[in-house]
This record gives sequence, structure tokens and C-alpha cells, in this order.
Amino acid sequence: MDSILKKNDIPAIFIKGLNKSYNGIPALNGLNLEIENGEFFGLLGPNGAGKTTTINILSGLVLKDNGDTQIFGQDTVTQYRETRKKIGIAAQELPQDWFFTIEKLLYFQAGYYGIIKKIAEPIIEKLLKRLGLYQKRNARLRELSGGMKRRYQLAKALVHNPKIVILDEPTAGVDVEFRHDMWKLFQELHEEGKTILLTTHYIEEAEMLCKDVAIIDEGKIIARGKPEELTKKSGQSGITIQFTGWKESLKLNLKNFTFTIDENRLHFTVKDPEKSLPEIINILSQNGCHINNIKTEKISLEDVFLSLTGRGISEKLSS
Amino acid sequence: MWTLIKREVGRFFSVYRQTVLPGLITTTLYILIFGFTLEKRISEIHGIPYTLFILPGLMMMNTITNASSNSSSSILQMKLLQQLPDILTAPLSSFEISMAYIIGGTVRGFVNGVLVLILGVLLVGMPVSNLFLSICFLLIVSWSFSSMGLFLGQMADSWDELAMMQNFFLTPLSFLGGIFYSIQMLPEWAQTLSYINPIYYMINGIRYTILGVSDSPPLVSFVMALGMTGLFTFLAVMLMKSGKKIKS
Repeated sequence: MDSILKKNDIPAIFIKGLNKSYNGIPALNGLNLEIENGEFFGLLGPNGAGKTTTINILSGLVLKDNGDTQIFGQDTVTQYRETRKKIGIAAQELPQDWFFTIEKLLYFQAGYYGIIKKIAEPIIEKLLKRLGLYQKRNARLRELSGGMKRRYQLAKALVHNPKIVILDEPTAGVDVEFRHDMWKLFQELHEEGKTILLTTHYIEEAEMLCKDVAIIDEGKIIARGKPEELTKKSGQSGITIQFTGWKESLKLNLKNFTFTIDENRLHFTVKDPEKSLPEIINILSQNGCHINNIKTEKISLEDVFLSLTGRGISEKLSS
Repeated sequence: MWTLIKREVGRFFSVYRQTVLPGLITTTLYILIFGFTLEKRISEIHGIPYTLFILPGLMMMNTITNASSNSSSSILQMKLLQQLPDILTAPLSSFEISMAYIIGGTVRGFVNGVLVLILGVLLVGMPVSNLFLSICFLLIVSWSFSSMGLFLGQMADSWDELAMMQNFFLTPLSFLGGIFYSIQMLPEWAQTLSYINPIYYMINGIRYTILGVSDSPPLVSFVMALGMTGLFTFLAVMLMKSGKKIKS
């Protein structure tokens, strides 16, 4: 009994004091993270926060400066053969290939993990069917749409039946319908017992899927917990305003508020929406803005990020 | 690792019109244009008819170009097309990955060399004095230039850089290595310069195994080929291990 308990106690992913810098500029600043076996975990943060660097260190694509990285208790550097078999990554960058069909590429991928053709055959057929790629199995990558390429990325990550599936911005740049299809698939994988690490800057994605999230900013985890706990703790509310007529001078007028601007959408994180909303509307109207739509909503992870960092999650680090 | 080798070999066979046929066509043209026209002016070198004399050199040039360009372009292409992560995140060691690329290039270099050899035998009845030695030498040279290609491909960041290495070093060194002439026909200073050109030893080595004549001592050619094999295999594997230019 004791040994079973101990076995279950080993985290799927364990990261301690992880540091990495590129040309002297730190990307990860002593990052600590532990993800339990079977979790659906979300790593949230803006572009450049260190999400992909963290994943790439786990998979061996980036060399860490120092720190401890383990997969099910095994070191990712000294025991890389074992740890890499346990991880499947659907990378953010979409690959290209001129020579082979996607089915052939999946056979290659299986082969890299020592799976012989005879064993790989039913696995690949099942995956292609499940991901809606079976009709396209003889196509080359360049003939696939962006959404199909994302599905191929997922098939590639799953071909060796890994215990941990890492999804790096898996729905970046795809349409809403396709995104919902992918979400269903991710949930199914989780129900099958896989540990899932999802990195995203789509708040909705993390709130919808993840049981547990961590917010990463400037190479460090700044908050961690269940999405509902994090939002509750913050004790704030969100106001989203669709409008036209933005002027840079408005930034000064709105300096007393915590907000983010994304094209024609302003998002405010406030303590008391009833008091703040009239003030905001007043400032916007006085500055000649045309308000199209106002929505007050219960706090989201976007507000948590905004209140913790003072920046929007979609904004770049430098801004 | 076996899969990666199959991928590397499959890659160039799938585009054989780019990777296998051109060598044969170029060699046929060399034989027709250089061989048959110049044979009237240069009757014999070392007692060998001119067309026959140039054939082993053409074979070697074909081998060297194909072996080096296969591994170098393959790794660079994978780097630029975002395919390298698939291999680098797989449970493969740097040594295994390097070997797969080197073997892929070796097979292409070797196949191209052998095809020119067969072409020579069929077109002009080239005699092969020691087939076993020829095959061994072709294999060693294919390996050494394939590993050199892997090293250069890892170092390169663009096609431009790779083409520069090919056009400014490999091609001139091949032509100056004595494909079309015996270095004894050159002035003394040019002969001395030829001695520092490694390809000179490769061309004369293969010429020895086929025609039994050579400007350089055959043993020196073999030692040189083996030395280059060892050196470039070591450099390519160590570079892969360090992750420089392919891992950040």
C-alpha cells in the first residue's frame, strides 16, 4: 500500500529552480512547477513569458542553464531516452515537408520511438480516423489546411502513446468551430488518463479545459490554482467595452484604471463596477469615442493576469 | 535510428530526378564533350586514353558532390522547415542522429559513384583493375564527405551559406584535384599546391583502384581518406552533441 502511494506521489512533471537566458537576457527566472499525474494543466501567459522555453527544455529542444527537470521522477537530461518516450508534443510551429505523405511521416515518427511498422499500422490508422485525417492520409503537408496541420501535429504527438501530452498553443490561428472540435478531443484524451499540459494565451481555452492553471510572466510562475479559486481570490470584476475612436491621450485619462486595449476592445478590471462604469463611459464619451457595446462580467483569468501584472495577456512583454 | 536512415535514403530516392539522374547525365556529357573532343589533342596520360583517364575523377566528383550535399541539405532543410524538433525530441542520441544522416549521404554518394562506374564500363568499356578496392574506397570517401556535409549543414543558417561552401570550395577543389589532367602536366608551384588539396588524393586513389595509375602513392590516398573520415565524423557528432546551431 505504502509503495503504491509513493508511486502515485511522483509528479508527472517536476521543475525546480529552472533558469535559461538567451544572449544574457533571462527567459526563465528560477521557475518552479509541479504537475500531478492525470491533471489537465494550463500554463498561461503572454507571448515571450517563457511557456515555450519551459516545454522545449522538458523535451530536449532547448538546453537549460541550470535547474532540475524531471518527468515521472526521471531526469530529462541524464535519462532522456525514458523521459522523451513519456512525452508527446504538439508544437506551436507548424512543420512543412516536400517529400512524404502524412501517413508516411507518422510511420517515421513512430519509428523514431522504436515502434515497428507492424505495431504502428493499427495505431496510425486509428489516429488518422479519430482526427479526421484518414481521407487525407496520402496528401502531403503543403496540401493540408491550417486546421488539418494542427490535427496532424496532434497525431504526431500521440503516435507513441505518451503519458504526457504537451499542447503548445494548439489552437493558434484556427477558426472557432475547429477550436471547439479540438477542445473536445483534448478532453477525451484527458479522460483516457493522459496528463495534459496546455500552454495558451486564449483565456477562454484555459478556463474551459483546465482543472488547474499557473500564470507565467517574465519567466516565473506568479500565480497558481484552480481557475475558479484564482478568480475568486482576486475579488474583482471585468468590464469589456467595444468602441471606436481610440486616441493615445486616453491612456492618460484612464490612468486610474487597470485596463488593457486590444484593437477596438477595452477590458477593465475593477473592484466595484457600479461605481467605475459611469466614470469610464464619461471619459470615453468626452474624448469622442463611440461606444458600441458594454459588457460587465464576473472576473476571468484575464482580469487575474491584468491585476497581477498590470498588463493584458495578449500584449507583448515589451509593451 | 533505422527509421531515420530509411527516411534519409527514401528522401533522395523519392526525388531521384534531382539526386541520381543529373550525375549520370553530366558524366555522359563530360565523356562526350571533353573525352571525345580532347582525346584527339591529348592522346594518352600515363599510357591511358584520355576518356578513360578522366572517368575515375568524374566518378569521384559525382560521389563527393552527392554525399556532401545529401547530408548538408537534409539537415538544413529540416532545420528550416521545422522538422528537426521531431528528431531532437525523440529518444535518440546525438550519435545515432549523426550516424543516420551520415549513412543517408554515404548511400547517395556511393550509389552515384557506382552508377558512373557502370556507365563508364558500358559506354567506353572502362576496365576495373580492382573492383573490391574501388568499392571500399568509394564507400570511405562517401562517408567522409557525407560527414563533412553534416558538419557544414549544421553550421549553415541559410541555403546561401551552404551554396557558398559548395561553389567556392568543393567544386573548385574537385576541378583542381586532377580530374582532367595529371598534375605532372602542371608547373611545379601548381603541383605543390595540389598536394594540400584533399580531393587530389581522393581522385588519384580511385584512379589507382580502377586504372592502376596514380599521381599520389595509393597508400597516402587511403590514409588521407580514412583520416578525413575520422576527422569529419568526429566533428559532425561533437557539433550535434553540443547542440550548437540546432538547439537554443
